[in-house]
Amino acid sequence: MAKITLAKGLNAGLRAAMEADPKVLIMGEDVGKLGGVFRITDGLQKDFGEERVIDTPLAESGILGTAVGLAMRGYRPVCEIQFDGFVYPAYDQIVSQVAKIHFRSQGKLKMPIVIRIPFGGGIGAVEHHSESPEAQFAHTPGLKVVACSNPVDGYWMIQQAIKCDDPVVFLEPKRQYHADKAELDESATPAPLFTSRVLREGTDVTLLTYGPMVKTCMRSAEAAAGEGKSIEVIDMRTLSPLDMGPVHESVRKTGRVVIAHEAHINLGMGSEIAARISEECFYSLEAPVIRVGSFDTPYPPSRIEEEYLPDLERVLDAVDRSLAF
Amino acid sequence: MNESKTDFGPGLGEVFGPSHADGGPDLVQLLTPEGERVEHPDFSFDLDDEAIKGLYRDMFLSRRIDTEATALQRHGELGIWAQMLGQEAAQIGSGRALRPQDFVFPTYREHGVAYCRDVDPLRLLGLFRGVDQGGWDPNENNFGLYTIVIGAQTLHAVGYAMGLQRDGVVGTGDSDRDAAVVAYFGDGASSQGDVNEAFIFAASYNSPVVFFCQNNQWAISEPIERQSRIPLYQRALGFGFPGVRVDGNDVLACYAVTQAALKRAHEGSGPTLVEAYTYRMGAHTTTDDPTRYRLSSDLERWKLKDPIARVKVYLTRNGIVDQHFFAELDDEAEKLGEHLRAGCKALPEPNILDIFDHVYAEQTDELAIQQAGYAAYLDTFEGSPAGGGH
Amino acid sequence: MAVNEYKLPDVGEGLTEAEIVAWKVKVGDTIKVNDIVVEIETAKSLVELPSPYAGTITALLVSEGDTVAVGTPMISISSGDPADVVPTAAPTAASGAGDKGAAKSEPVEADGEEPMKTLVGYGPRATDAKRRTRKAGASAASVEGAAAHLQLQGAFTPGGEPVDVVEGDEPAVPATPAAHVADEGSVKVLAKPPVRKLAKDLGIDLRSVTPSGPNGTITRADIEGFTAGADTSAQQVETAGDPALAGGMARSGERETREPIKGIRKMMAQAMVDSAFSAPHVTEWITIDVTKTMRYVDKLKAHRDFRDVRVSPLLVVAKAVCLAIRRTPEINATWDGAAQEVVFKHYVNLGIAAATPRGLVVPNIKDADQMSMQQLGSSINALAGTAREGKTQPAEMAGGSFTITNVGVFGVDAGTPIINPGESAILCFGAVRKQPWVHKGKIKSRDITTLALSFDHRLVDGEKGSRFLADVAAILEDPASAMLY
Repeated sequence: MAKITLAKGLNAGLRAAMEADPKVLIMGEDVGKLGGVFRITDGLQKDFGEERVIDTPLAESGILGTAVGLAMRGYRPVCEIQFDGFVYPAYDQIVSQVAKIHFRSQGKLKMPIVIRIPFGGGIGAVEHHSESPEAQFAHTPGLKVVACSNPVDGYWMIQQAIKCDDPVVFLEPKRQYHADKAELDESATPAPLFTSRVLREGTDVTLLTYGPMVKTCMRSAEAAAGEGKSIEVIDMRTLSPLDMGPVHESVRKTGRVVIAHEAHINLGMGSEIAARISEECFYSLEAPVIRVGSFDTPYPPSRIEEEYLPDLERVLDAVDRSLAF
Repeated sequence: MNESKTDFGPGLGEVFGPSHADGGPDLVQLLTPEGERVEHPDFSFDLDDEAIKGLYRDMFLSRRIDTEATALQRHGELGIWAQMLGQEAAQIGSGRALRPQDFVFPTYREHGVAYCRDVDPLRLLGLFRGVDQGGWDPNENNFGLYTIVIGAQTLHAVGYAMGLQRDGVVGTGDSDRDAAVVAYFGDGASSQGDVNEAFIFAASYNSPVVFFCQNNQWAISEPIERQSRIPLYQRALGFGFPGVRVDGNDVLACYAVTQAALKRAHEGSGPTLVEAYTYRMGAHTTTDDPTRYRLSSDLERWKLKDPIARVKVYLTRNGIVDQHFFAELDDEAEKLGEHLRAGCKALPEPNILDIFDHVYAEQTDELAIQQAGYAAYLDTFEGSPAGGGH
Repeated sequence: MAVNEYKLPDVGEGLTEAEIVAWKVKVGDTIKVNDIVVEIETAKSLVELPSPYAGTITALLVSEGDTVAVGTPMISISSGDPADVVPTAAPTAASGAGDKGAAKSEPVEADGEEPMKTLVGYGPRATDAKRRTRKAGASAASVEGAAAHLQLQGAFTPGGEPVDVVEGDEPAVPATPAAHVADEGSVKVLAKPPVRKLAKDLGIDLRSVTPSGPNGTITRADIEGFTAGADTSAQQVETAGDPALAGGMARSGERETREPIKGIRKMMAQAMVDSAFSAPHVTEWITIDVTKTMRYVDKLKAHRDFRDVRVSPLLVVAKAVCLAIRRTPEINATWDGAAQEVVFKHYVNLGIAAATPRGLVVPNIKDADQMSMQQLGSSINALAGTAREGKTQPAEMAGGSFTITNVGVFGVDAGTPIINPGESAILCFGAVRKQPWVHKGKIKSRDITTLALSFDHRLVDGEKGSRFLADVAAILEDPASAMLY
């Protein structure tokens, strides 16, 4: 099988979902003719038509609000937000409406909406194109939040998210869109959507991550192995709900945890994960849970973004601090 | 209210007149405040006097619902109530123009439209009493849940209309199949970004939506002059579709205009903005005190345009009904009042453990654990049975 | 005939009170539901209140001009219909759990300032500052445990590998570390952070500690029980030399290894210093022929009373010490400088120094002087076994009055032992070795050993020390002489 990028994996997954269910719609700015600014929806309007792959006006709130109405009418809209920093005009529709309608209607109205958001930095972009807003959505009951990290997960997870009857904020690490390739076996059985996964086994430290930081963490584990440190890397994959089972198992084995994400340290996903670990694995902890993230400042100009974002060195520094306890 | 000229824009009353003005030359009217039928070149009311009696009854009873609910709030049975007093014609007129397959997206004041959609008025009370957040099934009555966020529902309405288009139930020519959406909103909402985005989407996709704006002149204490420098119905042109202003206190005109707008939508001609020019005779809600920001003289002027009174005059002057009709209606209203009072107190209380059940269509383990944990916690206390059936 | 009261409601402004402006009805009037009965003034607005009840006004309960708190009955109305419901003026709807009672919008502030009004809804509610009553037997801890929160791993397996004892010897250094050592990568120890810190500070490997806490966790008490305690004596015994046991991470290829001074090492050092530099130590020794003791030991081994008791020369030494103390009680006394008194003890708590991988422990046998030979033997065995397992409790190490240290197990003859602080003498028992000896005029191979006694010269002078030592020696040379005591 050919090796594919994350962009191609998502594209193929979207195509498969569109083929499987005529109620699936794609909507967003530039998703139709252009195929999306990242080409994730490339070729889909040509094959499925303008009624199912909808180029929308430049209005994020409008995209999400009309998606609500479409969902009420029985459709399964897959909304694309062009860049993470532009989700905010839609934020009200997402948290006040999409997240709450199933609850307030006591289950009579379903919101099977997928909100695809390219997130994270590392592409040398201008402001508002490199955000990591996942914690804000994970903190909103009624939403589910997942983050893929590689082409194979991208292919499967987007289909699973579309099949899910709940609204899913689907985060895609944009720096990976056209980067690393992987082989896709379309006949494989994928892991369930809301599960985390051990990517690399180890015994000394558990390293938790997701999205764009997965690659950095795997590289960190490799480098650490050269120093005689054995790191277990887990891709969280789902941020709401969290799948803590494999995490707790790992922590009980290693006794040490480092959590790494691009998002700000303060009140990032690491905070919740750390709290749960300390509650569940208290007696197993040899060291406090250590978080690695970007600084608590707005995203800086891109020329220093690689210093701003946590890199291999910062991850391993945290690992070393953990081991020193 | 503010008549003085300042550096901050023209005086609020200067743009197109204060709210006691007659609504301008474009106002569509078919029944005057004095109860006289008049004609309009573009719109006509084609139903008979029996229909008008029905409309009267609808308005009379829906007003009673509104009055009872206000009283219930004063009794302490509801936390709050949003009164629709004075807007009966706009709601009943537009509501009765709907076909069963049309779908309505209300704000939180469309008790008259709910009535037309056969939503038991008791179901409306739950939200205001604090026992639920919408007590009816939108798909049973084709009437959405009340939306508190101002204007948000107009986008939902357009999305639904886009769904109708994809379902192939627009422009078929079959009047039992062709469907449309009515999005209700107020003058204040017309300033919200979402409403403007809804106009854009509806125009862009030519969606079958009737944007029904009840301009009752006030958004709590902000007058319409604060929201718009141009008569609201003229906004539509800016977005690329027709707008019409109708006398919101004239049930015949509201019926006719809405019917026409729905016809446009059904046949695939796209959206229309209907501005029902009316007045909020009551307060914004039961917590509001309008005496703080509007003149009683305004109120008095609008009392003379009461939507129900003019129909009563028409019916009696033309000998269409007798006192018996009104007496029967009074009885019916009494019974309705009792139904509401008794029913309100009997509305089932929410159970804290139930709130976990409908957060998601597919429940998460974490939430199930949280629910079970709380149930166990409750069970440790004297006197409280552990939740309902968990 | 029901009489209903209409209580002042919160008309939705977060009201706590209102002024009665004007009654619109009077006693005796007949009214219908929703007839306006009164006009009230809330903070700056007038509200007309419609009656929830129909019937005849029986009483106006408040007067015009009164300022009335929300929830106060204003008017009573008698209805002809007995089926009228009891008033529920303030909604209990939002109060949630059944036992909270009717919610009222009671004023929250006491300072007379205007309360903050809410734009929508019922407004704030006062809450009780009391706890709810729990059912008997329920507790917060058990409730929390009930939820699927605790997912602790399976019990950490306590206990350790069976220990090989050096053949023939008594409380001696176990050949292998006493406790369970987990494999790398297997289930790790469970202990909360403060306990881990304590263990680290004491230089204890948690893997060696037997957990007694819930779900297989190691508690603080487990650590404290495992430590050597504050009192140690005799030579500093080298541990097995395993750097992992000392709490640090070994680094290969370096010329020096530094280990922090902490834990048992620290305590032992302190004790030695305290003892060595407060009590003037004098050490005397004597080399004796203990062949008869060795034969006696063999006899004891065969004796049925000693079927289950491990007998060794140490047992005889212990007995000899207890007897000899009778003649020289100073040996068993304490110098109490603070009280300026010498404390003569009427008991012998006989300490036996035991070397373990953790360091030296000196548990003592309480009232050893009261014991029979067999009891003494059993006690020595028990003490040794407990020490090997690292389970010696602090209480066992406290209150000693005399200590025997057995350097013989190392093959060492004698030494200059340091007295256990709080005691006045310590006897060092060396190896028993076949040596040429003058026996009955001829050179024979006999079992020879050396006894070394250090004593506190503040209260034991040379005469007493010598006499004691000689007495012990005499018994060992001829166990039958014990009968003379």
